[in-house]
Amino acid sequence: MTEQKIMVKPFEALADARFQKPWEKIMIGLECHVQLNTDSKLFCSCPAGKETEEPNTACCEVCLGMPGSKPALNKKALDYALKVALALNCNINEKFFFSRKTYFYPDMSKNFQITQYEIPVGENGFIELQGGKKIRIRRIHLEEDPAALIHESGLLSSNYCLVDYNRSGIPLIEVVTEPDMASPQEAREFLDQLTMFLSYLDVFDFENGTLKADCNLSVVGNERAEIKNVTGKKSVEKALEFEAKRQLELVKQGKQIVRETRGFDEKTLSTKSLRKKESEEDYGYITDTDLAAVVLSKKEIDAIRKSLPELHSDKAKRLAKEFGLSDYDAKVIAGSRFLSELFEEFAKSSSAKTANFFVSGIFVSIAHHDNKEPEELSSMLDVSQLKELLSLFEKGKINEKALKEAAIAHITKSKNPLDFIRENGLFKEASSGEIEKIVERALAANPKAVADLKTGNEKSLNFLVGLAMRESKGKAEPREIKRIIEEKIK
Amino acid sequence: MKAQSALEFVAEARTGRIDLEENTHKILDKVFASEKYNFFNSVSKDLALHQAKELNAKVKSGKASGKLFGLPVSVKDCICVKGIESRAGSRILSGYLPVFDATVIAKAKAEGAIIIGKTSQDEFGFGTFSANAGLGFKVPKNPLDFERACGGSSGGSAGMTAFADFPHVSISESTGGSIACPASFCGVAGFTPTYGLVSRYGLIDYANSLDKIGSMGKTVSESSLLLEAIAGHDEKDSTSLNEKISFSPAKSPSAKGMKIGVIKEFFGQGINSGVSRIAWDSIKKLEKEGAKIREISLPLNAKYAIPAYYIIAMAESSTNLAKYCGMRYGAHESLSGSFNEYFSKVRSCNFGEEAKRRILLGTFARMSGFRDAYYLRAMKARTRLINEFKTAFKDFDVLVNPTMPVPAPKFSEIEKLSPIQQYAMDLCTVPANLAGLPHISINAGLLQKMPVGIMFTAGHLQEERLVQAASALEALK
Repeated sequence: MTEQKIMVKPFEALADARFQKPWEKIMIGLECHVQLNTDSKLFCSCPAGKETEEPNTACCEVCLGMPGSKPALNKKALDYALKVALALNCNINEKFFFSRKTYFYPDMSKNFQITQYEIPVGENGFIELQGGKKIRIRRIHLEEDPAALIHESGLLSSNYCLVDYNRSGIPLIEVVTEPDMASPQEAREFLDQLTMFLSYLDVFDFENGTLKADCNLSVVGNERAEIKNVTGKKSVEKALEFEAKRQLELVKQGKQIVRETRGFDEKTLSTKSLRKKESEEDYGYITDTDLAAVVLSKKEIDAIRKSLPELHSDKAKRLAKEFGLSDYDAKVIAGSRFLSELFEEFAKSSSAKTANFFVSGIFVSIAHHDNKEPEELSSMLDVSQLKELLSLFEKGKINEKALKEAAIAHITKSKNPLDFIRENGLFKEASSGEIEKIVERALAANPKAVADLKTGNEKSLNFLVGLAMRESKGKAEPREIKRIIEEKIK
Repeated sequence: MKAQSALEFVAEARTGRIDLEENTHKILDKVFASEKYNFFNSVSKDLALHQAKELNAKVKSGKASGKLFGLPVSVKDCICVKGIESRAGSRILSGYLPVFDATVIAKAKAEGAIIIGKTSQDEFGFGTFSANAGLGFKVPKNPLDFERACGGSSGGSAGMTAFADFPHVSISESTGGSIACPASFCGVAGFTPTYGLVSRYGLIDYANSLDKIGSMGKTVSESSLLLEAIAGHDEKDSTSLNEKISFSPAKSPSAKGMKIGVIKEFFGQGINSGVSRIAWDSIKKLEKEGAKIREISLPLNAKYAIPAYYIIAMAESSTNLAKYCGMRYGAHESLSGSFNEYFSKVRSCNFGEEAKRRILLGTFARMSGFRDAYYLRAMKARTRLINEFKTAFKDFDVLVNPTMPVPAPKFSEIEKLSPIQQYAMDLCTVPANLAGLPHISINAGLLQKMPVGIMFTAGHLQEERLVQAASALEALK
């Protein structure tokens, strides 16, 4: 079948649940693969998280699948999987085992993947979205990551590929949802919520870890398509937007949707058919009897449940209450464990208002500007230097603009923010007396604007503030100037 | 003059009265002289001489210790020895030099064993006669009759153990009877431990839930000496048991008061009457010594053990063999086509016929639609069969039966057997293996000059009872 060419406008109303007509209802289910940030791999003692280092330097006979080698379960990975399952309200199975999923592929060191089939770690959980809607989680299981395949001159044009086993055997959890999401936006919100849990549980490396999803989408009453292996939350949303649009268009034209597996192209933000699926693939699952069954007591499960940290919804409530933050700000800050810890740290030496302004205002917008999760910037921060910066701001020695510029220089160029203020002469030199004089001069030179202002013309106020700002060479605060002008004109 | 036993040899070697380098040279010469019997897939001459030299130095510095000090040990090809080609009798593993020692090898070396080579076997253990040798491999011949098989799959180990006129023991492996069967055909002692008692780390898998590394020696005490040295908990094998048990041969072996159950079904149909008679003769001797003998019936095991075993073993082995594709180690072919085509080429050219048969049957048994009818049913049957044994062990210390239904057959006879007829030969050995029960086979006598084995089976971790019963019988010979 030749691919239908369909133009996609992102964020089009069609793909938004609120605007869907009854016959346009879509259903989305996700299978999310999350790398766990354990020190070592799932079945051997090789270090995990060395994917960006020299290829094939973090592997041994076990993760290379050498004949004679055997897996031994990393207890920490199991612990992490149990934490996630508990946090996502799953029932924990007291006894489970591992299975072999057999298929031939060059990234598989044994041509079977050790995963879980009949009985996963946890089942029947849910994640609640902001609006209260529950997305059901069918199961969470533990499995090993395959090796990485590197096609040096591109997937299609390379006539060979290289294999890097540094990734082989890194622990993954697979979180499988029911098809409860009704729009790409809901799917995105689900992933946002999921990553908040991962962040609070500290089981995911936001800087280097990967989150991938197989995305199933169907228009109600039609066959579904699966978009395989989409990396990152944003791509998942984009892939689903394209796919929703494509399928709805086909339905509108009265055409049939084919059951198939599709791939997502990051460059064109489109999906294309990889293979038709007449039936379920047959992986010939059998028990991996090299690994003893895991048997947990109720006591052990309870101990892990009790060890769960304060999670984001509880934290938001506490921040609002304890620091007087608005519900919105509290949710933004509590939305990431890292942000909330940063906030609470700054709130020790500054007022909650300043800390909140810096974290949810300045810091989050810097991260968003760089298309990053706040966590990804964590290694760039020197908290003690930033604390000094905030204290300068609180004492009125620098203005908002200087605070923001110094923060950007610190985060993006590792610049000491205090040096930045000093080198760029950003200390407020103008005393309020000087500002008053500047304002008086501006008012005297522009009688017409003053007259207009008295009749309530906001534009002339902005004009006068601008003049005074220019005169002060940006060292005065616009708010301060505004206050003085309003005083003078009364 | 009676040959020196392995225990006597070790004791003497530790005193320094034996020059181990000289002795190892002598033994390697004998190994090379035995070439026509095909007991070895490779002889690790350099490793053996290097070890002998190190052990000599230990004697000189007064540090001679270890249960196997200076003892020549052969190892079934499927057990990894660091730097020594380990192929499990398959061409697909040509050139595979393990980067690590199997745990049993590390333990044996630590006890002073000298590793002399890798013994021949059926490819990956897939056979009862070692006649299913991999492509390019030779079939071991019975040292008592060149026309006959050694048994399998640990054929080379049993053949060498019977052949050696010097102290020697062999590390072997059983999935469904691969230690007991060749021990029976060659007339030596073959000791298979409780599943999990000996680490499988470093064993090239046949069927993970069934594989057990064990030992062979000329006598019960030799085989238990080796088994004791290699047993023990290993955190690298998650099915390894954390149990310490005793193998020490009883000072005055006696069967007095032992409750011995004779498995009725394994003396009847399908068992050569001469074999039955020889086994019964041994049982009568034990009865005379004061053992309490009673017949017991294991109808479920007699009927279902073989089919359940072959389904599980083949399903597991078909996944174990998936990794052989010419990418990381072993046989390679010229690169061409897609990865699928390349993998198929490597596998088509380098697996033998029986390996291919088991991959196909095993894959079939675990495919959706057949999985419930075959693999899962076999797993359920297995639980029932284990329970049948457990009930039996409430009344008995050990159970007994002839190891094999026949003495070692001629190669000309084996050729005429269909695969199903070959699988049926494992009737008496498979049940204990499927249940993970320890068992030992020792020689009970000769039938037309060929050895007949008798097999004792005990409950899980009751190895000591096996040593007691088998040593008692051995002492009566």
